[in-house]
Amino acid sequence: MNDLSVQFQGVSKKYRHFTLDNISFELPAGSIMGFIGANGAGKSTTIRILMGLVHQDKGAVRVLGHAMPAEQAAAKLDIGFVSEDMRLYGAASLAWHMEFIRSIYPHWDQPYAESLLKRFDLKAEQKIKGLSHGQRVKAALLLALARSPRLLVLDEPTTGLDPVARHEVISELMAVLADQERTILFSSHNTLDVEQISDQITFIDRGRIIDSADKEVFLDRWRRLRLVLPPDAALPRVPGIVEIGGSGRLPVLTTNSFEPAMLSACQSTGATVQAVDSMTLEEIFVANVQSRREGQTV
Amino acid sequence: MHSDLVISQSDGRPMYLQIMEQIRQRVAVGEWVPGEEIPSIRQLAVALRVSVITVKRAYLELEREGVIVTQQGKGSIVAPDPELSPRLYDQEFTEHLDQVVRLAALLGLTPEELAARLREASERLTTGRVTKETL
Amino acid sequence: MNYSMVKILIMKDWYLLRWAILASLAGGVISLGIIATGNKAAFMLGLILLVTVLIVAGAHIASTTMVTERKEQTLAFIMSLPISYREYTAAKLLANLLMFLVPWLVLTLGSIALLAYPPGKSMGLIPFTALMSVEILVSTCLIVAVALISESQGWTIGAILVGNVALNFVGYWVAHIASIAKGMEGSSVQWTPAASALLLAEFATIALILGSAFFFQARKKDFL
Repeated sequence: MNDLSVQFQGVSKKYRHFTLDNISFELPAGSIMGFIGANGAGKSTTIRILMGLVHQDKGAVRVLGHAMPAEQAAAKLDIGFVSEDMRLYGAASLAWHMEFIRSIYPHWDQPYAESLLKRFDLKAEQKIKGLSHGQRVKAALLLALARSPRLLVLDEPTTGLDPVARHEVISELMAVLADQERTILFSSHNTLDVEQISDQITFIDRGRIIDSADKEVFLDRWRRLRLVLPPDAALPRVPGIVEIGGSGRLPVLTTNSFEPAMLSACQSTGATVQAVDSMTLEEIFVANVQSRREGQTV
Repeated sequence: MHSDLVISQSDGRPMYLQIMEQIRQRVAVGEWVPGEEIPSIRQLAVALRVSVITVKRAYLELEREGVIVTQQGKGSIVAPDPELSPRLYDQEFTEHLDQVVRLAALLGLTPEELAARLREASERLTTGRVTKETL
Repeated sequence: MNYSMVKILIMKDWYLLRWAILASLAGGVISLGIIATGNKAAFMLGLILLVTVLIVAGAHIASTTMVTERKEQTLAFIMSLPISYREYTAAKLLANLLMFLVPWLVLTLGSIALLAYPPGKSMGLIPFTALMSVEILVSTCLIVAVALISESQGWTIGAILVGNVALNFVGYWVAHIASIAKGMEGSSVQWTPAASALLLAEFATIALILGSAFFFQARKKDFL
């Protein structure tokens, strides 16, 4: 029953100083995907192509069953979009924006909107230009959430928010997923948020997808092995080594293909496994990117 | 019946393991009784603010362990096994015991010394209780 | 084409620019008042003021709705609505032109009325006034179209300058067309075939400009 909410196939886009190359991924309905990437990696461009705001040079994009950018008007009826560089009209009030959105979308939920106003600590009568950055982000999120769109596309939704606001936003995003027909795609620097709530995670670097998998798969596959080697012993052969740190006798191996059998394999070569550390998503991402940039995949 | 589990961000262990442990504990202690309905995967995910896939994994593993049963399209319940609670409690006890034995080995204690220490600890607990009651 | 969305977008721009619209109306009425005082100098002053108000109104509205939309980054918000470039273009063109038409109509009809009443005195000027009035409309269409397609302050200012210069040139040229010039001195309306041809050309230019706007918008590959 898993319809695909978003589908990218071989999407490419060339700019003068940057190329998005061969982007392919799928997002099933009812799940939440986190995009992690450095600044300028291509997250925003990918999201704009998803929204039909930028036309791809090559490749097919389908969002909620609609081909993009051709059917963008129909698709956007069911999409809530908030991006970091998006602004509301400073001279108008939040209430005006709420009324504006309400007049366009049939599914505007006024009681929910009002509860969000309270929870996000916003005043509807206030003019947008009088709001702080965090408040503007929350205002834009309110406008997107209160329509209960089938797909939420968020570019850096928690960036610049104080911890309490972040907490509220994450709660609201998860509340969206209580409905298994609704999907979220968000990009973020904040690997903690992505790690906490994403079902799937996609790493983007320099215009390419460098990894895309279920979150649990990432967290399972990546490990840091702290070994103690006997003198003059060689490093045991461990598959998927991405980085070798530590010292000669006390190496630390970072692997992206961990399996418990690896440990006995190490020990059979005479090495002692001192520790097997899980890695946070941030550590995984950094290790992944750094190793690619240095061209080191053993 | 929404007894909220609490997930710690700073706990180094994977979240699905934390979830599993807390559910096991609730069953062991008898807060969630055999046959009782537990939150659906999505409900728990929303309540804990944790990804659905993580809760799904925890539930799958718990089902494999026989702690819960997931009925197609109807949600999940605690396994209707009257022996479940005492069994889980006993499981946890055994895990703690194993850990004590491991630590004892590191300290170089003999089995007799270990037994003596256990008796001391048990006495401490009883006296502690008495002191509390007399207070 | 989703007409209800176009309407909503137009109303949005009207709401956001309500003070500018009122101000241009006020400015126009004031200049009409100056013209109505009757003497030649006041007429000239009033006329210049009038034209200025119209051009400023057209330019201001155009740049506010389009260039500012891009600068203030509200474009992303608007394009996240269920529309395509078609609705956006139609809404912007219509919003701008309708907003401009309000002061324009008042002032054009006002000027013609002032010329026509008291009757007999300066009705010869009516054809010229009408032609120049429509020429201002053409100029504004150009500014709006350029602002829409370029979304740039620089290009829009360029269009304003071109429009202004063109206005003066056309004004001079039309005033010296034999058949029209003769009629200007008269005290009755002398509508000549030359005038009809010119009027037709002006409207055709407007259609061309608006059509081109849609054409170029359709070819845009990056809306953001």
